[in-house]
Amino acid sequence: MSDYDDVWLVIPAYNEGTVIADVIENARKTFPNIVVIDDGSTDNSAETIMTTGAHLVQHPVNLGQGAALQTGFNYALKQPGAKYFATFDADGQHQTHDVEKMVALLRADEADVVLGSRFIEQTGEVPWIKRVVLRTAATISPTARKLNLTDSHNGLRVINRKAASALRITMNGMAHASEIVATLASSDLRVMEVPVDILYTEYSRSKGQSLINGVNILFDISLRERGRK
Amino acid sequence: MKYLWIQLLLMAGTGVLVYAFIRRWDAAHTRAWKRMAFFAFVIANVYAVLRPQDVTWIANKLGVGRGTDLVLYLLVVAMAFMTLNTFMRFRSLEKKLTDLARTVAVNDGQRVNKERFAEDDAVLPVGSER
Repeated sequence: MSDYDDVWLVIPAYNEGTVIADVIENARKTFPNIVVIDDGSTDNSAETIMTTGAHLVQHPVNLGQGAALQTGFNYALKQPGAKYFATFDADGQHQTHDVEKMVALLRADEADVVLGSRFIEQTGEVPWIKRVVLRTAATISPTARKLNLTDSHNGLRVINRKAASALRITMNGMAHASEIVATLASSDLRVMEVPVDILYTEYSRSKGQSLINGVNILFDISLRERGRK
Repeated sequence: MKYLWIQLLLMAGTGVLVYAFIRRWDAAHTRAWKRMAFFAFVIANVYAVLRPQDVTWIANKLGVGRGTDLVLYLLVVAMAFMTLNTFMRFRSLEKKLTDLARTVAVNDGQRVNKERFAEDDAVLPVGSER
């Protein structure tokens, strides 16, 4: 039995077969409950995940990271005893000690949502171009400003059951990060930001968001309310 | 002043487009309007083929030189509507696909993981689950 039986890590994975097993096993040293959403990977991700102790949920087709996160929340919410939900990246750039820190804040009932930030304290090194773009994104985003966020696109978040039930991610692609922030800003959930360390490995750099994709994200967000039924 | 009417017409078309974009799209009465517009389009087509000189007459009244030009202008507006319509339809389909895939994924996942972890659960003492 672990101290973190009520915590579920939600890891969206798309073609991460080479690293996913290591990331899962590493995280499972602390967190026994992990659900990995295989977002229609075409590599051996699914088989690899099967060999680990993580729950596997497979999208029949590739839908995007936002959709994968929502699926993960839906699944984790159904698990008995689940109280806290953490979104965690599959490429190994997040660290479990940060999650522990964030869960502790939720346990103390200081917030409903704890977001990781790369910029509160400059603990790790962030490539400078990324720093400029991400800071700009956080500064120009009206919702991020409202919540006083310094980093609106961090993949590390820990939320409690109330927040997880309230979340409805409709942006299937990468615009979900902004969508989550917007949802939080318009809700009465208590949001907090804590500094986290991101490991920019060779692998995560190669898989990471290309900056040109920011254009796609902006476009998606501006159309967010459109075409909804 | 010469182009006033055609300008007003095209601006109005753009205005309606923006309005339709901002409003909820799939409401039933929007669909009714789309159908009515389609029939108007068909009738206008037949008429324009039978009496092209009338189109030129209308074009002149609107300040456009030739009937062909007027048809071209209207075609641009019609195409913008079509593009928007297709885009909305895709969005709506994408949402349905996502909901469907998610339901399948979660249901399958629950079944598969239950089997996978059945042995582990048996080892845990009863009541250890919080």
